[in-house]
Parts: sequence; structure tokens; C-alpha cells
Amino acid sequence: MSQPTSVDAPYSMRRRLVLAFGVLLVVFLGLAGYALDRAYQRSIAAAVAERLQLQVYALLGVAEPDGNKFFLPDLEEARFTQIDSGLYGFIFDRNGRELWRSPSALSLSLDHALMLSSKMQPGQTNYGQTSAGEQGTLAWASYRTYWEALGQYFYFVVMESTAPTDSQIEEFESTLYMWFGALTVLLSIAQYYFLRWGLQPLQQLALDVSAIESGKQDQLQQHYPSELVPVTENLNLLIKSERERQNHFRTMLGNLAHSLKTPLAVLSTALQEAKSDGEFTDEHRKDMSDQLQRMDQIVSYQLKRAVKTNQAVLARPVALAPVITKLVGALQKVYRDKATKVLFEMAAEVQFYGDESDLMELCGNVLDNAFKYGHTLVQVKASQKGKALLLEVNDDGNGIAESDRHYVLQRGARADTVKSGQGIGLAVVTEIVSAYGGELRIERSEWGGASIKLRLG
Amino acid sequence: MRLLVVEDEDLLRARLVKALEDNSYVVDSASNGKTALFQAGEYGYDAAIIDLGLPELDGISLIKAIRAKGLVFPILILTARDKWTDKVGGLDAGADDYVVKPFQIEEIRARLNALLRRAAGFAKPSLEFAHISLDTTAKKLTVSSVEVELTAFEYKVLEYLMLHPGKVISKTELTEHLYEQDHDRDSNVLEVFIRRLRQKLDPDEQLKPIDTIRGQGYRFNVPANKR
Repeated sequence: MSQPTSVDAPYSMRRRLVLAFGVLLVVFLGLAGYALDRAYQRSIAAAVAERLQLQVYALLGVAEPDGNKFFLPDLEEARFTQIDSGLYGFIFDRNGRELWRSPSALSLSLDHALMLSSKMQPGQTNYGQTSAGEQGTLAWASYRTYWEALGQYFYFVVMESTAPTDSQIEEFESTLYMWFGALTVLLSIAQYYFLRWGLQPLQQLALDVSAIESGKQDQLQQHYPSELVPVTENLNLLIKSERERQNHFRTMLGNLAHSLKTPLAVLSTALQEAKSDGEFTDEHRKDMSDQLQRMDQIVSYQLKRAVKTNQAVLARPVALAPVITKLVGALQKVYRDKATKVLFEMAAEVQFYGDESDLMELCGNVLDNAFKYGHTLVQVKASQKGKALLLEVNDDGNGIAESDRHYVLQRGARADTVKSGQGIGLAVVTEIVSAYGGELRIERSEWGGASIKLRLG
Repeated sequence: MRLLVVEDEDLLRARLVKALEDNSYVVDSASNGKTALFQAGEYGYDAAIIDLGLPELDGISLIKAIRAKGLVFPILILTARDKWTDKVGGLDAGADDYVVKPFQIEEIRARLNALLRRAAGFAKPSLEFAHISLDTTAKKLTVSSVEVELTAFEYKVLEYLMLHPGKVISKTELTEHLYEQDHDRDSNVLEVFIRRLRQKLDPDEQLKPIDTIRGQGYRFNVPANKR
């Protein structure tokens, strides 16, 4: 099957799905990674804050004021006493004057103004981070307290280097990225196989269709998932009706060609005869006129038979009433002299599932016969049974002799064997009814005329 | 009866015109829709024969345009397509009957006859007034059940008058509808024909079927028996 190569061709289904899943994957994994990272950082920050708070309480517990200074002789935490250990303690008075610093912080120089706020309530702890040169970034907790014995406010500040937690976060992030990368690869591979599996019936369908094209099979043969069944069933019907149509036209063309050969042969012999007789007699003229008339009848019959024969595949319904009204209007004009009375017995919603011109041709021929052969009365009855259309046309003429009925109902009767008059119209009707898988019956009407009963679909 | 024949196929048109003229019709012809529409508006026709497949203005549009002008003369469609969709389309547009190609000239003649008769309000092929009966199919006149011989032109005059009973027909109208355009129109000849018709229709001069309205024309004044 040739692929459409237009530049405006829509994205293939696979490409659409890959794009959609790809975008979804990136967005989902990206957001999830970001959220996990943030949550981890928050939990680390909370743990640091808690730890600092505990260290503040530890300082408070052992702090002994002495004049303008503080002594903290019994520090349990060894890191306060080792230089540049990464844990530092300070005590400031309300004016920001340093009253004590832990031995670990001897070489530390920093701007502590930000950590001390007079707006803080006693017992309140503030947290933050600050940069301290060689020591890197420090996380701090500042606690304001009121010392009743001295009647003064003091700030107890504990700082901790963020280096250990930073490396913890880094490690977490690199593990996270590694896992998410692996997940992306895994999901991408899974997506590829899922898509292949999901789209396999469509690929199968394409193969099935190309097998039909190459003549290896007549129908779509594979079992398809339920979503595709309506499509494949209709495709099969379409293929079948298209094949029938081709056969129909081939047969029709063959019939036309063959049935024209006989009158052509008669014409040819008449001409030869006239030539050898040296004169064109009335008999020759009659022969030729008869044959021309016969050829005309053959051509018009075959043309009228050229119905769509689509058996209502994908057919849209056509309302019957407007078609009948149009035809009756036209026929009343043509047969004005007869002043035929037409009786209707049909609901407005009766529909025909098929081609409108086939319906027009069918009803036209039946009604034309009724108007032509009926005396003064034509009756049209129509009803619906599911998708099937039931149509009955009665007249008050002489009817069709029982001996002629089977003759009229033969399908595919060749034009040269069809009698003119009632015969040719009904032969066309038979052809259309048969193409739609319907049924045609000829009976006697209650007025003694013809009663044509049709079921279509 | 003056007819308009519209057909684009030259050979067919010529044959049709000749056959109709042989049947005592006065025939004008056109090979396309536009010319036909002009002619239809310009001259008073008794009927038109129109092919559906015409160049410039197709048959259906021509019929619609003719009807839109308020012209009511009967129209017979010629069509190569004998599907009901086409026939109904033509009749819906304003035509009165159809003939499918190829056709026999007798069929055209019979359909035309019926259309002209119907247009005058007669349902049957014979026009009957008191004891005068004109069979338009066999072109025969019987007076008191006795067949009366008519010349072709006498028949044309009588048929025209009988198809317009009670209406005053001027000499000009009669000549226009019964003579070819380039024919020598001598009104004295018409008077001679009328006189002869009166003698044939009413030898006892009791019924006096054809009135002469001085300065206006003639009138067929016998009421129709049954239309």
C-alpha cells in the first residue's frame, strides 16, 4: 500500500504516542525528583535545627555568669573544645558584645549582627545560615534568654558547619538521579514494547489489506480486538460489495455487448440483402427499424440496471415520502388526462437505507406502471420494519396475468428477452431489489389490478 | 400551431423540424438555451420541445427561465437520460411531459398533440362542440357523425380556433401561428379559408360556429360539449 507522502501528513500514531509518553515521562520523573530532593533537604534542615537547639540547651545548662563574662566549665560536647571542629558556641549580651565563645571557635571571624535581634522574645530561637570564610557555610541557631539573677538579656548562639549535611544531600541527589535515570531508560524500553504490542493489530490490518491487494486472500482474516471489529467488519462488507459491483458491471457489459450482437447481425444481413437485391424494400426498412428499436431497448434497459448494488453498506437513510411525492407530482402531470386518484398510507418517517437515485428509479418504475396500467386509482402503502422498507403499490387496472409473473421476476433477464411495457420497468425493479437483498412479489390488488409488494433491506 | 424546437445536435434538429413541418406545424428552432430563451419571450409559441443537454444555458435552467417569464405554453422535454431522477427534475422545473431519446417522430407528434389539447383544457383527443367533432389524432372532422374532408391548411385554422373557443383570434395571430415567418401573408386568403370552413361546418347556416368580429378577428363561438 502506498503511503501518503504529503508534507501535511499527520504524525503517525506511534510518533504521537511516543511523544506523549516521552513528555509525560520527563515531566513526571522531573517533578518527582524535584519533590523528593526538596523533601530530603527539608528533613535534613529540620534535623540540623533540632540538633542546634539541643546544643543551645546544653550551653544554657552549663553556663555560669561571672561579671561581664560567662564560664562554661563542664561542656560535654567535645566538639566545642576542638579548634575548627565544625561546632561553635557563642554568648552575646543584648548589645551584641561577645561574652563567650567556645574554644572551637577561636579562629572564627564572622558578622553576627544578623543573628541577634532585639525583636526576639525571650525563649525564642531563630535559625539561619551564614558564610564564614575558610570554615565554609555555617548553619546557626540563636536563642534569646533573660537571666533573672543578672536582670539582663543574652543571646546563646550555636553554629554548625553545613559541610557534612551538604555532602549527605549530594550523595542523596546522586543516588536519586541514578535511580531516576535507570527508571527513565526502563520506562522508555517498556513504552517501546507496550506501543509495539498495542499497535500490533493495526500493523496486522495493514498486512492483511496488502494481502488482499496482492490477491493472496479475499477478506480480512485475522482476529482483531473488539475496538477494531466494527472497522474490519465494515471493510470486509465494503470489499465484498465492491467485488460484487465489479462482477455486476462485468456481467452487465458482457450482456450488453452480447445482446447487441444479434440485432447488429440482423441489420448487417438486411443491408447485404438490400445490396444484392439492388433495392431497398419496405421489408428491409421494417427489419432495420425493428432492430434499431430492439437495440434502443437493450441499451436503455442496461442503463437502468446500472444500480449501485452497495447493499446499504455505510448507507445513509433516505426519507421515502419526499421521493414518492416528487414522483407522484411528475406522473400526475404526465398522465393528466387520466386524473388518477392517489391514496397514501405511509408514515412520514419511513426510510430507505441505500442510494436515493436507486430508490427514485425503483419507485419511478413501479409508480409509472401503476399510473400507466391503472384506470383511475393508485394506492401507495409504506411501512418500516427495522432497517427494512416495506412498499406496496396497487392499481385498479387489469393486473398482471399469473402466467407472466414468473417471467417478470427473473433476475438478470437479458434485455432482448424482456417484453416491453410492464415487463421492462419491473425487470429493472427486480434488479434493484435483488441488489439490495430484498424481495418483490406480484399479486392482485383488491380492485383487480396489479399489486406490487416490495421489501428492501 | 407555432412550435419552438431547441436542440443542439444539428442533424437531429433539422430532422425534427422537417418532420414537424410535414405534420403541419410552424416551427422555429434554436441550437442553444440563450437564443431559445430570447425567442420564447419574443414570439408567442403554442408549445416548445426542449433538449435537456444544451450548451450555454442547460435545458432545466431554460425551462425555469421560461416559466419565470410567466410563459405557460406546454413544454416537451427530450432527454437521453431516462433515469427517473432526470425526468422528475425536468417536470419539476416546469416541463409538462418527456420523450426519451432515441424516439419515433410519431411519439413526439402524439405527445405534442396531447399537450396542446390539454393546454386548451380538453382531456380527450377529440374536440367536440355540439355536433362538430375534430379528432386531433387522426386529424379528421365529423359533422353530425359524417366525415368532412379538410385540406391541411383548413385543418390548421379550424384546430387553432377550436383550441381557443370563445376567444377572439386576430388575423395576425392566426397568420403568425399558422404560416412560416417568410410566407406571403395575404389576409384575403385567410378569409377564403374561413368561408370554406363555415360552409363545411355548417352547410345549413343554422349553428354559425365562426363569428367575424369586425376589425378584430374571428371567434369560435360554440360551447364545448364536455372537456
